[in-house]
Amino acid sequence: MELLITAGAVVVGIIVLALVLKMLWRVAEPNEALIISGFRARSSPGEAADSLGFKIVTGKGTMVIPGFQAARRLSLDTRGANLQVSCVTKQGIPVAVRGVVIYKVGDDFVSIANAARRFLDQQNTMNDTIHELFAGHLRSICGGLTIEDMIHNREALTGEVRRSSADEMSKLGLVIDSLQIQEIDDNSGYIVNLGKPHAAAIAAAARIAEAQRDQEATEAEQIAEAKKAAAVRASRIQQAGYQAEMDEASAKATQAGPLSQATARQEVVVQETRAAQLEADLAEQRLQSQVRKPADAKAYELRTLADAERDAQIARAQARARETELSAGADATRVKTAAQADAEATKARGEAHATATRLTGEAEADAARARGLAEAEAAKAKGLADAQAMQARADALAHNQEAVIAQQLAENWPEIVRAGAGALGNVDHMVVLNGADGVADLLTKALAMGGTGLGLARQLLASMGDKQEPATTTNGSAPVAVRKVDEPAP
Amino acid sequence: MTGRVGPGLVGEIMVSVRGGSEAFYAHPQQPDEVIEPGTQVLIVDFQAPRTAYVERWSSS
Repeated sequence: MELLITAGAVVVGIIVLALVLKMLWRVAEPNEALIISGFRARSSPGEAADSLGFKIVTGKGTMVIPGFQAARRLSLDTRGANLQVSCVTKQGIPVAVRGVVIYKVGDDFVSIANAARRFLDQQNTMNDTIHELFAGHLRSICGGLTIEDMIHNREALTGEVRRSSADEMSKLGLVIDSLQIQEIDDNSGYIVNLGKPHAAAIAAAARIAEAQRDQEATEAEQIAEAKKAAAVRASRIQQAGYQAEMDEASAKATQAGPLSQATARQEVVVQETRAAQLEADLAEQRLQSQVRKPADAKAYELRTLADAERDAQIARAQARARETELSAGADATRVKTAAQADAEATKARGEAHATATRLTGEAEADAARARGLAEAEAAKAKGLADAQAMQARADALAHNQEAVIAQQLAENWPEIVRAGAGALGNVDHMVVLNGADGVADLLTKALAMGGTGLGLARQLLASMGDKQEPATTTNGSAPVAVRKVDEPAP
Repeated sequence: MTGRVGPGLVGEIMVSVRGGSEAFYAHPQQPDEVIEPGTQVLIVDFQAPRTAYVERWSSS
């Protein structure tokens, strides 16, 4: 009985002890932190939490003295908050963004302390606060991103989240595990348009491919059709050829009878034609021999006769012409000869008469001139006689007379001859009818006259020298006088 | 390194700590250094609660 009571007391004692322990000892589970405040709760495991007014316990148990200490649990679970904001992107496009943020209280003591101070009594309303907070953050995050970045660029999104919210999260002791944008409502149609080029390109490629395949299929079909048509054509041609051969053969068979008849008839016609031709040849030969040959002979005869007649007439005409020509030539020669003879005679008579007349005239003129000159000279000679006589005498006395005369004549001989020739020079348009002989004759006569004059002069000088003594005049005057006497002589 | 570090950006690193791995905000130790995601880094300073200063890890 006592043993039973003792055992019962022990059991009761253990139970009481367990209950007491259960009341005093608190254990922190992995997803929560114990926040102990009150008596002897100033020391804390974290160095940075030295100045905290409470103790943080995670992952283990601790004694809590009822009445002196208070223990509260702070959940470290992940929490989620749905966000829905209207914002403007970096490009200025208004969009409605729906997202979710996953966050929790940080595992380090600093974060737990910060969170405990702020949310310990508001753990149920924490999501509302965080929602308000993150709505603002998400708006600023969207403002820093383009729509393309929001859709594609995860790194840009997370970077923007960190940049925007790091400091505030640190203040609140929260850690963002993840922020996801679930949906973007785009009233301006930007996102739809963003995909249109690609969609259009894909659609175009699809249409191109479809068209190409369709084209290839059609080509193949048409080639096949063409080949089929060609086969049909070849078959038809062949059939037609065979049909033609068959028709030809049957036609030949049906025409064989008339053909043979026609051939025979043709042979008959050929033979008849040849016979007619032979008959024509015969008639032609007959005509040749009976008509043409005699006609030819007749024509030849007539032609020959006509030729002979024509030749005879030509010969007669030629003979007459020749005769006339010769007789005319003879007449002309005779008349010409007679005329020439007459002309010669007339010319000779005229010349003879002219010569006679001229010679007569000349002779008369010479005679008259000689007489006139002789008279003049005689008168002049008488005037000069005394002086010249004296001079001549003096000279003759001084020198040999004959030598003087000869000297004078020799000195003046060229002048004398020139004077004789001058007589001929004075004759204008002298007509010499005797030719060269006539001229020679004339010169001879003139010189002979000169020579006669010379002799006369010589005699005159001699006589002057004999009769008169020249005066004491100068020697030069005498030759001048002599020259004057001599000049008109020819 | 899970988020790019550079001027004007807040990077992110994953660190094995307390038996799990946690994400910390990362800033470059050299102000104008750029560190790409996937690079190993050395944490040279830590600022509570969740900010680390890192530089490029070099094995030498």
